Amino acid sequence: MTIRRFLPSSLTGQIALLVALALFVAQAINFGLIFRERQALRFNQVTAPAITRVVDAIERLRAGRTLVIPRLDRQGNPRRERRGGRVDLVQANPIPAGLDPAADVEDGIRTALTELGLPHGQIVTGVRQIRSNDPRLATYSTKRAERLKRFGGELMIAVEIPGEGWLTLSTPWPRGARDVIWRLAAQTLIFYIIVLIPLLWIGRRITRPLKSLATAAREFRPGEEAQPVEERGPDDVRAVIAAYNGMGARVTAMLDEKDRMLGAIGHDLRTPLAALRVRIESVDDDADRARMAEIIEEMNRMLDDILSLARLGRPSEPATEVDLAALVDAVVEDFRDIGADVTLEDSPRIRARMRPALMRRAVRNLIENAVKYAGGAEVRLTTPPGSVAIEVCDRGPGIPQDKLGAVFDPFTRLEGSRNRDTGGIGLGLSLARAIVREAGGRIALANRDGGGLIATITLPR
Amino acid sequence: MEMSDTPHLLLVDDERSIREPLAQYLTKQGFRVTQVGDAEAARTRLQAYAIDLVILDIMMPGEDGLSLCRHIRATSETPVILLTAKSEETDRIVGLEMGADDYVVKPFSPRELAARIRVVLRRMAAGGARQHAPETGSYAFSGWVLKTGERSLVDREGVSVPLSTGEYNLLLALVTRPRQVLTRDQLLDLTQGREAAAFDRAIDNQVSRLRKKIEVDAKSPELIKTVWGGGYTLASEVTRL
Repeated sequence: MTIRRFLPSSLTGQIALLVALALFVAQAINFGLIFRERQALRFNQVTAPAITRVVDAIERLRAGRTLVIPRLDRQGNPRRERRGGRVDLVQANPIPAGLDPAADVEDGIRTALTELGLPHGQIVTGVRQIRSNDPRLATYSTKRAERLKRFGGELMIAVEIPGEGWLTLSTPWPRGARDVIWRLAAQTLIFYIIVLIPLLWIGRRITRPLKSLATAAREFRPGEEAQPVEERGPDDVRAVIAAYNGMGARVTAMLDEKDRMLGAIGHDLRTPLAALRVRIESVDDDADRARMAEIIEEMNRMLDDILSLARLGRPSEPATEVDLAALVDAVVEDFRDIGADVTLEDSPRIRARMRPALMRRAVRNLIENAVKYAGGAEVRLTTPPGSVAIEVCDRGPGIPQDKLGAVFDPFTRLEGSRNRDTGGIGLGLSLARAIVREAGGRIALANRDGGGLIATITLPR
Repeated sequence: MEMSDTPHLLLVDDERSIREPLAQYLTKQGFRVTQVGDAEAARTRLQAYAIDLVILDIMMPGEDGLSLCRHIRATSETPVILLTAKSEETDRIVGLEMGADDYVVKPFSPRELAARIRVVLRRMAAGGARQHAPETGSYAFSGWVLKTGERSLVDREGVSVPLSTGEYNLLLALVTRPRQVLTRDQLLDLTQGREAAAFDRAIDNQVSRLRKKIEVDAKSPELIKTVWGGGYTLASEVTRL
């Protein structure tokens, strides 16, 4: 679980991590093989000859022969360059402390001597690094100095021969494993660069169009004309984008079709209403005629509500910067003009982005409810941090606590108010909620202390 | 002679259920009504008779009302009143911009339509030349823009300041008559044409509300000035956009 947190979550990241891990494992195996091979090589080239020389020297010592076979130059003088290459017998352990021992050589010598039954005491080895400007190189023959430089180290071996002293010899010693590790690390790094750069490039080629696709899908608003996402990247990704674009076009076409259908329904229902409205003019009784006109007007409003609710997915009105205080004030003023008891607390200018005609409608529906059920409303604008709230309060009967959520559902009306006189089919709150949600806000109802209802629209700012 | 006293209306609507009772009603109201069901028939009647006013349904199969309206405007001075549905908001605006003189929204009260017809006819008789319907285009004054299509007032920064119906009607009356002194009675007349019920509060009240919205300092108004003993005037140049 916790590991998961450190794993990259993106496609490119995961592929890169996987490739890096695979490369690392491959390089580790590679390293192991190279290391073993070097070990074997070293044994053949260095360790085995060294053991042979030690054994040979001890045997010669035991046979009482001189250790050194003096090689003479052409003039018959002993050749100096044998120094360092030969086996010497000294009294004390000549190997300075602090040098790295070569354990495998020590083991090899010990095993060989034990097998041959040759007496021996301590076996000490030490590896000395040789730099190209090492002053000791000057004391060696050119050939040997060359070898030492090439190998990069010198192995010094000292074998204690009981009663005789210490046999010492030295031999060139190849550079240590650390060197190999460095070389492999550098190699791995180069691999990484060579492999990961194209990998990241191809990853971007895949993920960038995917990212723009995700953005387009997230911001897809059926109501707005959406630009098709550019088809780019590998074929598979192109196919996905093309499929998405096709789907978006189909959704838009469906919504267009719905709009056309609703428009046709609206027109077809309005026509008989209009015909009826013209015909009632021949009714002689004024009161009757007025009542009929009212009913027709109410049916027309319901039709409006249904059409608006159905069309909200594709609002035709653009969002603009609006002075919300003036908007609420205008709605309240319209109510006051028809004699409704609606009050508004003075408020400073509040700028917000919204579709003004729709928001007017949402506010109007809330106030209309208050006026309908409570005979009046008090409207207030408050600005909690980061948002703005429109509160419509009344002193009406309120709503039972368990029904507070249900009244937002379309066609819901509370039993007590199922009364033709109050009009409407319960779409007012649904419409208000849909409008407010479309604007990114919330709408809530609560019963008020002391009776009545408080409806709050909260909009982001 | 009697012919010229009785205004001759041409009623164009494809819906017989509306057309016939409406024609009946208007006839009863003292108009002479010729009714047709499509634009083509309307064109021939327009040529055959001296039509005083056309009542035109926007939504018709075949050639629609807007196209016919354009034709009428291009060929004559005959006033046009449009019958629209609320869902055709843009059609209404286009219609007015195309030169229609007024409109009613379905379902409309025939009484209201008759009243509108009389107003338009009276205006034609008085001025002779038809005037542009005020509810088209935008009016710019002192940094504000009143957009009649959307019925919105936009400030210098592009922020829309919503107006109540009363405020809108009053402001429209003022911006269409800049620098004219308008008495309270005149303003009542001018603003009551539409949504009469929504405008029965005192003009003074509406003026003070409007001032609060558009004046820098509502206490010493620079835009809507009170004329002593007269009424109000808009003290600003107005540009029609």
